[in-house]
Amino acid sequence: MDNLLNIEIVSPEKNVFLGTAKVLTVPGVEGLFQVLNMHAPMISMFETGVITIEDEKGEKINFSTRGGVLEVKDNKIVVLADTAEAKDSIDVERAERAMQRAEERLKEGGKGFDRERAKFSMQRAKIRLKVAGILK
Amino acid sequence: MATLKEIRVRFKAVKNIQKITKAMKMVSAAKMRKAQERILSTRPYARKLSELMGQLVALAHLSDHPLTQEREIKKRVVVLVTADRGLCGAFNSNIIKFTVNHLNAIGKDTALVTIGKKGFDFFNKRQYNVIKNYPGLFQNLNIQESNEIVSYLKDLFVSGEYDFIEVIYNEFKSIIKQNITTETLLPFSKKINTDKKLMNASFIYEPEAKKILQELIPKELNIQFWKALLESNASEQGARMTAMDAASNNAGDLIQALNLSYNRARQESITKELLEIVSGAEALKKE
Repeated sequence: MDNLLNIEIVSPEKNVFLGTAKVLTVPGVEGLFQVLNMHAPMISMFETGVITIEDEKGEKINFSTRGGVLEVKDNKIVVLADTAEAKDSIDVERAERAMQRAEERLKEGGKGFDRERAKFSMQRAKIRLKVAGILK
Repeated sequence: MATLKEIRVRFKAVKNIQKITKAMKMVSAAKMRKAQERILSTRPYARKLSELMGQLVALAHLSDHPLTQEREIKKRVVVLVTADRGLCGAFNSNIIKFTVNHLNAIGKDTALVTIGKKGFDFFNKRQYNVIKNYPGLFQNLNIQESNEIVSYLKDLFVSGEYDFIEVIYNEFKSIIKQNITTETLLPFSKKINTDKKLMNASFIYEPEAKKILQELIPKELNIQFWKALLESNASEQGARMTAMDAASNNAGDLIQALNLSYNRARQESITKELLEIVSGAEALKKE
């Protein structure tokens, strides 16, 4: 049991996850990174992407996130995510609609079109669908 | 004395009112419980974020972030959180009264941002300087809308148009007690966390501490405002619950009183009828 991490994922609205795991993968601002047992104390920001937790049996749990900050200390990790959604709390239909909308906007362009924003919302929708297991 | 029919009509009306107030009380009790849970569920996030901030402030100074600029206060914004609906006792009127006094103290032309219909109605009617209104927020309270309001307020501050922004809201103490609270939102300030244990641990920062700190300031603002909304929401439901409980009790008292006078009137009329029959019979006998 000694080589496990205590992980707590909290968002402003609820406690998303509390438990132990072997590996935590986070989309850090300076690139994807993993946290294992005995990691040095660290405070790091992460951005939009997928947080993955791998437990002792090798089973993976994914969370889609819009970014946040995490603290690693004495094998205890606290993830403060702006949003964090597990597979079962993702509204697939909404994500699909958002995806379509963003695609259309990117194609059409037009007046007052914000390319960055459209790209960003498309990325978010993609991640959601990935976590929900619909998109590979 | 009122006639039997009049009393019966009133009796029915009061009973119907009591039914409504009882139902409203139960609805707000359920809503309040939910609102309380939501307050509790923001706590772990808020606590940890505040802890991190305190730690980072010790390393990097806040002073060069645009949201922390302390300028000479020329123009202020007051954000007032009230309810959208009435029938919750003195909940709205107390906070409105407080705000009126506050505005008198700091200048009547202070810009107002009102959240909730009740506050807007009051101040808009009286020629106060309401610059923005957010009605109907509490029907489906969510953090996205709360964050949007915060970013609107941030723009007001960063653009230099306003130099000081504060929030007035009802803090949830208990079902029967709300505390009117004034909180400074901007400029942002944070006390250094003096917890020695944290200061001594040597952390890796990614990116550097200063950058993290700057990213965290808006997050902390968001959560601070979100908490104010949740507190106000729970307070509103609590106030409504107590108000409706009192109303139900009063209706009960009224029903009792009406019942008594109804019975009295009924007895009186029977006595009168009997008297008439008896005296009629007497009169017949004499003839």
